Amino acid sequence: MIHVPSHIQTPATMSRATVMQGQAQVSADPNRVLTTILGSCIATCLYDPRMRVGGMNHFLLAEPQNAGKTTVDENYGVYLMEVLVNGMLAHGARKSRMRAHLYGGANLHSGMSRIGTANAGFARQFLQNEGIPIVHMDVGGVQARRVDFRPAHGQARCRAVEDNFIPNQKPMPRPQKAAGDVELF
Amino acid sequence: MRALLRHALTEQGFAVEQADDGVSALEWLEGNDVDVVITDINMPRLDGFGLIERLRAGGRHRDRPILVLTTESSDEKKARARSAGATGWIVKPFDAEKLSAAVRRVAH
Repeated sequence: MIHVPSHIQTPATMSRATVMQGQAQVSADPNRVLTTILGSCIATCLYDPRMRVGGMNHFLLAEPQNAGKTTVDENYGVYLMEVLVNGMLAHGARKSRMRAHLYGGANLHSGMSRIGTANAGFARQFLQNEGIPIVHMDVGGVQARRVDFRPAHGQARCRAVEDNFIPNQKPMPRPQKAAGDVELF
Repeated sequence: MRALLRHALTEQGFAVEQADDGVSALEWLEGNDVDVVITDINMPRLDGFGLIERLRAGGRHRDRPILVLTTESSDEKKARARSAGATGWIVKPFDAEKLSAAVRRVAH
């Protein structure tokens, strides 16, 4: 049994969806809450105030070191950022109206490479290249975070949590139905 | 993503030219020949559907193979791309070897 502290419980009228590592979700449902827990991973939250639609992604790594040998898949921000932006566009959002929140990118283990810092740097650069302003950011440090985002309102809440809340952060195996398949007409 | 795509294809021996959006691609293609066009769907100024339609409407690239590489996976958009004249449809995330094989197949 997992006890959810009362201060993060969801009111009965709200529906909570967890954005797992390797996922992106977009919603215009005013009762929807997107939530995730981050260590070195990054969650990007986008919001279009006119369409009242928002979304969140959750990625493990920025981009592959060698795209010629590696599949650019759900583990990478370079893919999940595009999925999130396109999901927003599909809901009627415009890139020129989008606003971003950025969370995560902690360096939890002092002896390991600073993956969190690299992830946060990548996300900031991506948003800058796309012309999407960051309205709130809480990245870096050494502590895990929990993020709750109401996509239809553009409201985010980010709090520090104990490290043992973090799910196992490893590259995900590719699904059986491999993307990248080619269909010739 | 464009940088990764360039890297993946050049490693396989292809020469790659890239454009920021559909309008830039059209302008570049007016003065240059290519063996294959690879386009996304969501692009500023002129999207992938518009680019395909403009290329198919006439000129030097009317019969050029055009592959769509996109995160979109809906049947409706795939059908629209096919109707516009796309040669093939590839859903990201891309696999470098599959992509290269597809380019070789349609380019010969």
